[in-house]
Amino acid sequence: MSMSTAATATLAVTKVDAPTIEYGKLSPILIIAGVAVVGVLIEAFLPRPARYRAQLTVALVGMIAAFGAVVWLARDLPDDHRGSVTAMGAVAVDGPSLFLQGTLLLIGIASVLLIGERRLEPAGGDAFAPQAAAAPGSQQEKDAAAAGWTQTEVYPLTMFSLVGMLLFPAANDLLMMFVALEILSLPLYLLCGLARRHRLLSQEAALKYFLLGAFSSAFFLFGVAMLYGYSGSVSLDKIGVASAGAMDNDALLLIGLAMVAVGLLFKVGAVPFHSWTPDVYQGAPTPITGFMAAATKVAAFGAMMRFFYVALPGMRWDWRPVMIGVAIVTMVAGAIIAITQTDVKRLLAYSSIAHAGFILTGMIAMSDAGVSSTMFYLVAYGFVTLGAFAVVTLVRDARGEATHLSHWAGLGRRSPLVAGVFALFLLAFAGIPLTSGFSGKFAVFQAAARGGAGSLVVVGVLCSAVAAFFYVRVIVLMFFSEPKVDGPTVVVPSVMTTAAIALGVAVTVVLGILPQPVLDLADKAALFVH
Amino acid sequence: MIFSVASYFVVAAIAPWLVRRLGRNAFLVLAALAVATTGWALTRATSVFDGRPVVESREWIPQQGVSLAFRCDALALLMVFLAAGVGVLVLVYCARYFAADEPGLGAFAGVLVAFAGAMIGLVTTDDLILLYVFWELTTVFSYLLIGHRSEHRGSRRAAMQALTMTTFGGLAMLVGLILLGQTAGTYLLSEILAAPPGGTLVTTAIVLILVGALAKAAIVPFGSWLPAAMAAPTPVSAYLHAAAMVKAGVYLVARLAPGFAELDPWRPIVLIAGCATLLLAGWRALREDDLKRVLAYGTVSQLGLLTAVTGAGNRDAALAGIAMLIAHALFKATLFLVVGVVDHAAGTRDLRRLSGLARTMPITCLAAVVAALSMAGLPPTVGFVAKEAVYEAFLHRGRTDTVVLGVLVAGSALTAAYSLRFVWGAFARKPGVPTTRCEPAGALLLGPALLLGAGCLALGLAAGALDHWISSYADLFPSTGSDYHLALWHGPGIALNLSAAAICVGVVLFLAREPVLRLQSATARIEPSRLYDALVRGVDRSALQLTGTTQRGSMPVYVGVILLSLIAIIAATALGNLPLPFPRSPRWSDSAAQLVVCLLVIGTTLIAAGTRGRLPAVLLVGVTGYGCATLFVLQGAPDLALTQGLVETVSVVVFLLVLRRLPRRFGDTTRPGRRVVHIVLGALTGAVLAGVAVSAFAARTRPPVSRAFAAAAEEAGGKEIVSVLLVDIRAWDTMGEIAVLAVAAIGVTSLIFVRRDRALPRLGDRAPDQPARGPRPVAAETLVPERRTVVFEMVARVVFPTVLVLSLYFLFSGHSTPGGGFAGGITAGLALLVRYLAGGRYELAEAAPLPAGRLLGAGLVIGAGTGLVGLIAGGSALRSTVIDGTLPPFGDVHIATSVFFDIGVYLLVVGLVQDVLSALGAELDRRIEQTRDQDAERTVIV
Repeated sequence: MSMSTAATATLAVTKVDAPTIEYGKLSPILIIAGVAVVGVLIEAFLPRPARYRAQLTVALVGMIAAFGAVVWLARDLPDDHRGSVTAMGAVAVDGPSLFLQGTLLLIGIASVLLIGERRLEPAGGDAFAPQAAAAPGSQQEKDAAAAGWTQTEVYPLTMFSLVGMLLFPAANDLLMMFVALEILSLPLYLLCGLARRHRLLSQEAALKYFLLGAFSSAFFLFGVAMLYGYSGSVSLDKIGVASAGAMDNDALLLIGLAMVAVGLLFKVGAVPFHSWTPDVYQGAPTPITGFMAAATKVAAFGAMMRFFYVALPGMRWDWRPVMIGVAIVTMVAGAIIAITQTDVKRLLAYSSIAHAGFILTGMIAMSDAGVSSTMFYLVAYGFVTLGAFAVVTLVRDARGEATHLSHWAGLGRRSPLVAGVFALFLLAFAGIPLTSGFSGKFAVFQAAARGGAGSLVVVGVLCSAVAAFFYVRVIVLMFFSEPKVDGPTVVVPSVMTTAAIALGVAVTVVLGILPQPVLDLADKAALFVH
Repeated sequence: MIFSVASYFVVAAIAPWLVRRLGRNAFLVLAALAVATTGWALTRATSVFDGRPVVESREWIPQQGVSLAFRCDALALLMVFLAAGVGVLVLVYCARYFAADEPGLGAFAGVLVAFAGAMIGLVTTDDLILLYVFWELTTVFSYLLIGHRSEHRGSRRAAMQALTMTTFGGLAMLVGLILLGQTAGTYLLSEILAAPPGGTLVTTAIVLILVGALAKAAIVPFGSWLPAAMAAPTPVSAYLHAAAMVKAGVYLVARLAPGFAELDPWRPIVLIAGCATLLLAGWRALREDDLKRVLAYGTVSQLGLLTAVTGAGNRDAALAGIAMLIAHALFKATLFLVVGVVDHAAGTRDLRRLSGLARTMPITCLAAVVAALSMAGLPPTVGFVAKEAVYEAFLHRGRTDTVVLGVLVAGSALTAAYSLRFVWGAFARKPGVPTTRCEPAGALLLGPALLLGAGCLALGLAAGALDHWISSYADLFPSTGSDYHLALWHGPGIALNLSAAAICVGVVLFLAREPVLRLQSATARIEPSRLYDALVRGVDRSALQLTGTTQRGSMPVYVGVILLSLIAIIAATALGNLPLPFPRSPRWSDSAAQLVVCLLVIGTTLIAAGTRGRLPAVLLVGVTGYGCATLFVLQGAPDLALTQGLVETVSVVVFLLVLRRLPRRFGDTTRPGRRVVHIVLGALTGAVLAGVAVSAFAARTRPPVSRAFAAAAEEAGGKEIVSVLLVDIRAWDTMGEIAVLAVAAIGVTSLIFVRRDRALPRLGDRAPDQPARGPRPVAAETLVPERRTVVFEMVARVVFPTVLVLSLYFLFSGHSTPGGGFAGGITAGLALLVRYLAGGRYELAEAAPLPAGRLLGAGLVIGAGTGLVGLIAGGSALRSTVIDGTLPPFGDVHIATSVFFDIGVYLLVVGLVQDVLSALGAELDRRIEQTRDQDAERTVIV
């Protein structure tokens, strides 16, 4: 038997160098990915009773460490605040990436605190189904609940989703962006279906989210193919160079742009790709809703800004009118439909749609001020949203969370503190001064006005007024109605939920009164690396 | 100034504590703060009125050009006097107005003080954004104050309405402020007014700001909220709705008028809105029976007057306007406080039930009469002085001003009428109404009203001083030449005649109150609050409709919207970029056979979309898959065709297994009309995307990447491109895919076997005492006779080893001929499938020697192991080496090490199929049998 060794079987004829990856620059992402994998191992090897503590500890420590890494990287940015690309140009480590990653990690920490809450269910357990695979109402489900099982897989799932979110705004090529999109989405689809109460609703939400999400991912991918066909590259920089010299006949570029944009707009919940939002927000377990509402928006807007600012700055005259239209429709529809909502979670969902429109307003400014104001808004909005959903988890009756608005009547009498905190969040949503909501709105509207999108500002403010109407209605309901006799009670949470809510309140107030430090930070971080 | 404004908020924070300690007397302590502010204002008065404003500034949000800038000029100082001075009296009044045990008094006190702070901040700030901040703060605080007695439904509605209106206005104003600031390049009011920018943008901005100001001042069409807000406690009405909050709107008009009154839309807006409000609300005040509501409509009416006059934009009007503003604050606050006293003493505010109070409450009556004189514009009060000035400012000018003057006089007549009505209603003895019993009011309750009433007189007498205070503001406007000055007595003239005329008409209107009331009920339809209700209802309804049409929770609708948007976007883009790239000479087909297959596939697709049965749908979809495989064959790619065909077979079978547990037909929930829409939408989407695909191929500029595949395969020592691609060129991808496959297999089965042992059932489990195996087929013992076909069982057993050998052949020959680990694995899986179909789940257990999990695991381990070996041996993971040699029974062999990787794939795929079969096949069988047994038992029992 004779042997001969063949050459390396790779496609290219010339030798390909192995990619050099600066692991240090990716450390926030890698830490969280590691945490997620450790989480899976915990599920596999630790006995059931020990998992909860272990998961919680690993997740929190990991996120804090990753946040530390973000800070370390941010300090390392050169003086002109320009970042660099790594992983062969696939990942950008620049101001916007780090700013948004830091935001995401803080939101992640608060979310995990909410997810880990175990004081609220009277029978014990958390907000998640004791055994997700058991059919709703089945004997298996009852057995699992009686045995006190919990689905501690939610922690690694959340962490995997967070990995995708951290990668999404940093992705500097379209394939990496797609991969990040899927990493962040798939665990979320699953998490949405895990609610302990109203399980069928939750499962329906998950299925809807999944199906529509799959659609939008397909569009995204199709669009990537078009852009690749146009420019011969999936790298945002190269697409940027190619599209800068775009001539008249560039349907391929425009259609690709449109399809990628559809995928991104779906994730931020902009009209007309918003329809999943209310159903999913309502059905998902509330801590997950909070996480999703806050973090997905941050990540997706980060990616969207990078896509438009790096890959298509030369095309702004083509996409800006369309995006202005989308922003207007989003604000109007979100604000108007929210008026009729009778469910708190759905109300917040529509408000999140309207807010997507406001954030788009900042993005469309197409300037550094646009980037920084959008990022500031994302921080402000993220914490308010998370806090609001955290409050929703506290108001409960025998059937779980009492999300119907009529149950909230007179809450201000019964628990002034909780109702007051919720009122603060609502005022922040409405953009009343001295809350973070006002600072954010002011920043994006100012940027838009400067960027010549005056019409958008006018519509935006009109919608704010309509939106203020329904926020105010809730406040009136809470403080100026008689409490119902059989109304819900406010459950006293553990220190974890309290901490998450306190964080929300603190950010809301501080960014309302002293926004300057964060504005400075966002301003310094507003340069995309090219 | 920053300090004094801030001190209000600090004191507000400790006010609840004070109230808890001191009870209602805490208001006296709080009043000290307002006294201090008034004192501060007094010390600055001389220099400010001489035209030297106090300026103070700190940085706040430098990035957005926002600073804590304060600037106290004559106008601001006068407003501070009003806010702080009236504030003192109202706070003192509060100390007796509220019962000692009033619930929520602490919070109320805090909010009232904070409101005063916000109001003082609003009038003294020089920064547009800070102005907006204070503006919204007054809104929010006023809302809390109005809603203080929140048990009443009326209170709640009022609070809601007030907040909605003023927030709406405030936000409109915000846009205006931003636009103005951006155009001017500064957010400092004083700088903007010093050099007012121009242009369309500025005009828009000013209109928006005016909307905000008018909404706050309760001017038509935003006026409806103020009367509704009268549900608030009386001191709140006196303070917010007479002296402070509503004046903020007028203040803003007065503040901007020097810079922007010359803009085109300015005068029409302020004059028309102001005059309309003056008349409508004045007329309405004649109908009210509640004293407070009389005053409320009176206030709205007066605010209309103030808006029109201060907005008129010339020196005399400005002088008159500010004088009127001060006069109004004094007399209206007095009257509100009087209503509170009356209400307190008599227990009602209904003028039909009050009678003879003039006798029992003479001092209160005196204060009210003085204030009413001022309101009606009679000498020697400040109201008279101001009204004379107002008439004078509109005399001797153009035609427009003459019309306005007419309206003002008419409005004054109405004012005189409701002033009379108020005094008569509150204090006169009415025939047929018993004299109202009342308790005496204390000094602290009466004092503020008296002091304010005295102010109406004193300022009237000191008209000269008033003139000096206002003149430095009025002089900001260009001089009119005549330069009117305020004085108590200008002597007879047109203005005096007009005053007299207005009073006379007012008296007539009052005396003719019965016919007026009848006329009123005829005009009652036009009521602003109904307008508001209708608006809210309309918004609610349209929102409901919008929700109903767009958000029905239906997936088809959601997907439809998304697809439609996509089509619209693509179509718009395409139409904007005609002509689209299109293949120059399109080749429709390579052969007739290809065309036939294509048509077959298309036809099947259409039928599949139309069919209602699940089974036919699955089979038809399967046919499209086989059609695709056929196309691959025709294209010369038997390897792809093989794989495609095998996969199609397995998926059809899996579908069929699952369908056993689903209804046979799709639900008929879709209406026929909607089906048509679905079909059209589907066809459109398909057509558009197909068009995009064709166009995209035509736009290609680079050679396809697959050109190099053949050479690469050769280099890797194989001939079969697909196999080489899988195990060599894209080995990493395959690695990832098989891992996903394993996970998917585990996922599917774990959903089916939630908490059951996943091992396949064996004969021994079923009947432990019988021998486990015998020569007879397993099915003989486990299947009901009707389901058995002995021939099939035997054939399956005979064919089984043969198919397995075939699968191994596919596995090992893959590098050079069609086949490969994946195809091999599926073939072996099909062999298992045949055994299962023939003999049921026990037969499957017989055929599968190893548990599926082990196969999956082994596959993964081998796949990953090959990669590692490559890494160790060749320096890079999954590196492949070719071994040539002779193996005696087979002859020459040509093996690439990548075949080991392929073995991993093979095992994994077999494991997958087995896993799916045991979950969706065997386990479902068991459950179906279980259900059937239970049904049978139930039937027996019945």
